[in-house]
Amino acid sequence: MSFEIKQLSVIYKDGSHSIQALEEVTIAIAPGKCLALVGESGSGKTTLGKACMGLLPSNSAKEGEISVNGRRIDNLKESALNEIRWDKIAMVFQNGAVNLNPVHRIIDQVAEPLIQRRLSGRVEANLKAKEALKQMGVTEEHLYRYPHKLSGGQTQRVLLAMAMILDPEIIILDEPTASLDALSKVFVSGVIAQFKSVGKAVLLITHDLEMAAGLADTVSVLYLGQVLETLPANDLLFKPLHPYTLALGRSYPTMTTARDLGGIKGDAFYRLVHQHGRHDQDKYKHTHIQIPDSSHKDGHAPPAGCLFQSRCTQAIDRCKNEKVFLNEIGDHSIRCLRNGIADILELKCVSKRYGDVIALQPTDLTLKCGEVFCLVGETGSGKTTLAMISAGMRNQDSGTRTFEARDMDQWAKREYRSIARRIGVIYQNPAESISPRFSVFEAVAEPLKIHKTIRTGESIENRVSRVLAQVRLSTDPLFLKRYPHELNMGAIQRVCIARALILKPSLLVADEPTSSLDPSVQAKVLKLLLDLQIELGLTMLFITHNIGLARKIGDRIGVMLAGRLVEVGPANMVLSAPRHPYTRLLIDSVRGLVKNPFKPGSELAKSAGCPFVPRCPRLKDICCKTPPEMVNVDHCQVRCHFPLTIDRLYES
Amino acid sequence: MNADLRRYIFQDTWFLTGFSLAIVFAVTVLAGPPLVPFDPWDMSFTPISPPSAEHFLGINDGGQDIFSELIFAIRNTVTFGLVSGLVALGVGVIIGLVAGWLGGFLDMILMRLADVLLAIPAIMILILTAALFRPSPFVLSLILSGLMWPTISKAIRAQTLTLRESLHVKAAAQIGGSNWYIIRRHLMPEMFPLYLIGLAAKTRMAMFMEASLAFLGLFDPSRKSLGMMIGYAVKYYYMDIWWNWLLPPIVCLSLLIMTVTFLAISLEKVLDPRLKDALG
Repeated sequence: MSFEIKQLSVIYKDGSHSIQALEEVTIAIAPGKCLALVGESGSGKTTLGKACMGLLPSNSAKEGEISVNGRRIDNLKESALNEIRWDKIAMVFQNGAVNLNPVHRIIDQVAEPLIQRRLSGRVEANLKAKEALKQMGVTEEHLYRYPHKLSGGQTQRVLLAMAMILDPEIIILDEPTASLDALSKVFVSGVIAQFKSVGKAVLLITHDLEMAAGLADTVSVLYLGQVLETLPANDLLFKPLHPYTLALGRSYPTMTTARDLGGIKGDAFYRLVHQHGRHDQDKYKHTHIQIPDSSHKDGHAPPAGCLFQSRCTQAIDRCKNEKVFLNEIGDHSIRCLRNGIADILELKCVSKRYGDVIALQPTDLTLKCGEVFCLVGETGSGKTTLAMISAGMRNQDSGTRTFEARDMDQWAKREYRSIARRIGVIYQNPAESISPRFSVFEAVAEPLKIHKTIRTGESIENRVSRVLAQVRLSTDPLFLKRYPHELNMGAIQRVCIARALILKPSLLVADEPTSSLDPSVQAKVLKLLLDLQIELGLTMLFITHNIGLARKIGDRIGVMLAGRLVEVGPANMVLSAPRHPYTRLLIDSVRGLVKNPFKPGSELAKSAGCPFVPRCPRLKDICCKTPPEMVNVDHCQVRCHFPLTIDRLYES
Repeated sequence: MNADLRRYIFQDTWFLTGFSLAIVFAVTVLAGPPLVPFDPWDMSFTPISPPSAEHFLGINDGGQDIFSELIFAIRNTVTFGLVSGLVALGVGVIIGLVAGWLGGFLDMILMRLADVLLAIPAIMILILTAALFRPSPFVLSLILSGLMWPTISKAIRAQTLTLRESLHVKAAAQIGGSNWYIIRRHLMPEMFPLYLIGLAAKTRMAMFMEASLAFLGLFDPSRKSLGMMIGYAVKYYYMDIWWNWLLPPIVCLSLLIMTVTFLAISLEKVLDPRLKDALG
């Protein structure tokens, strides 16, 4: 039985304020399919579930259609609705035990719908209930207990049994696994998969992205009542198109992600719709997003713009004012003016040579808005050259650079400063990157003075203090007068970070920013950098030779060898299952498994083929003759004729 | 920084010595001429008389008061030295910075020009010019600076080439600093010691040069100069005048050169914050 929601909007009224809980949500679930609704709390997931069941509170107003098999159910009377509830649509509510009546034994509660609808007598009903509970894995001894004697997992099973007792066609599950341990979660997932297999339409409301990706066929991402993206479940964790979906994925602690949790900058609580005056006309209405620490006035959002723009890593001016509609891109549909996650920097075939040294072979590199990309590789592999070309500090010999959708070379020729403002650079040696004759204040204020971008009514001192506070440095006048040689390395590196951030760049290029720091200071500086990256929504190109570090901070990793990128992919995949033997060598070296990484030089090294030939354990003829091309393997790209697969990895 | 610096610098022996000497010479140069007891061109005294209460250093062969002559000579020598030194420094720094920072064709042209000038002996040019054209001392000092800048600009250019590879200069260029900004804020302050060394060396050289030319009699004989005084005194060396006529201009010339050197050393030490701790 198919289930459809068309243009559903829900508003909760509260005096002159109304809360917009849902806005024009359209979803459809075919029998045997599962749709997962994901989103932060407050995004309207539960409201949607309740709206389907006709359980919205009396202060709510609803627009749009909800239909089962083409029959509208949203405008039915209470009595008619009652017939549909449990019979056609059942819902498993959130928060387990509170949904059970504490004074009735569970078997009676599960049997209740049967008895209520006079479908069977008490004895028969109890038998059916027993059967249903057993199917859900509730043991005999628990059947006659009261709800408070059950554990969370058992309660969830009881609720599932209850929902299934009338064999409904449509099941709505609201956070079925939120409070469950991993094993119970697996069980519940199994039950849901079974629902699907017997042809039921399942609406899964969850914030568990892995479960959504594993169980659902389609995922809808809800943000402040709007669907921002609807995408095939397979793409949820690896190929999201909307920046919000990506950010959600980064905030979710899966077992495979190595990076520290990302989070999303800013907060959003709910959307208020104000109605001032007596007229019910649009000009008296305005929407604003309630966020913490903001008064009514600050929170005003322009009525038409994208709801997510204040937290988005790639928002542009248009996002504030233009209305955004859902847009079909492939099998995704997204609500984004920029058509999904944009590339902030795109290098195509860039190469560089210094004299007769080829520092960089033609290389492609794409940085997406808001991600942290780590470049790793041994010394001399061209990491810094690639970073400097990305930052616009050096020009490539050939190839093109595109930064924020503009040709970087032409842009730099015409107006280098406006690029410089948008790219911050942090250098490997912090002490040397500040003139020894500059005090802390002068060093941090230098970019401002060069760019003269101070707005009227704002003093340089204020801007400097603000950015120093951001990097957790003192704003004391005495400290501002200090010279670099009077500071410790950690403080100098923070000053450098402050310098890089003071112009509010969108891309941060960090060349081994912590390699000159001791581990404890390094940890602090890195934590700071990552916090700032999230807080400011920066894109970061991070160069390091420390793979452990790259694992902790990178969303994606690029491995460089002899001036080429030989492997690019999501950090966890590259590190847990490297496809290129060189990546594997690097990782094994870090683990202490490699005794002698440098084999005696051989003539093969100068061959026209793969640069890894002299050290490759799985050498074949073709490797020495033809340089390998970049090939796609799963979600990674590898430059190898015989990329490792998981099996081969363990076999050798 | 300034209060610190002032406190620090007055504890430095080099500076104190140089500074005291400089004050003495400055007073001599500025306030000396109006205060001298006699007109140095007045030839009305008994020639070659030993020092007396009236004439501290006696009278020379022309019947002029040696002390008054000395004061005027110091002024001429110092002025000549400073003007030549400053002009040479200015030209040298500008050419060195431009050549080093902008590089390329301009660098090549300027440095070849410097090589050519370096190959020409300055004293020869000066002697020839002075003998043939009899220019004013000011023009002569300009000609001398025109010959002296190459060493300064070579040093400045070399330092600029080093500095342009240093991270803070690269960082400033990355941020978008203009050529002028980088030269002004990052390159010029870094080379302060070079200016002092250059200025000291060139002033020293110019003072010496002036003394030499005057010694050879290539200046207007009525222009008082330490070199000229030495030159005349040497002619009467067989008489017992070396201590009152020959020695004073020699001592003054040496002290002038020492003053310049001492000040250069102490300022160099103080103005570089990294050297401050190291040199004590």
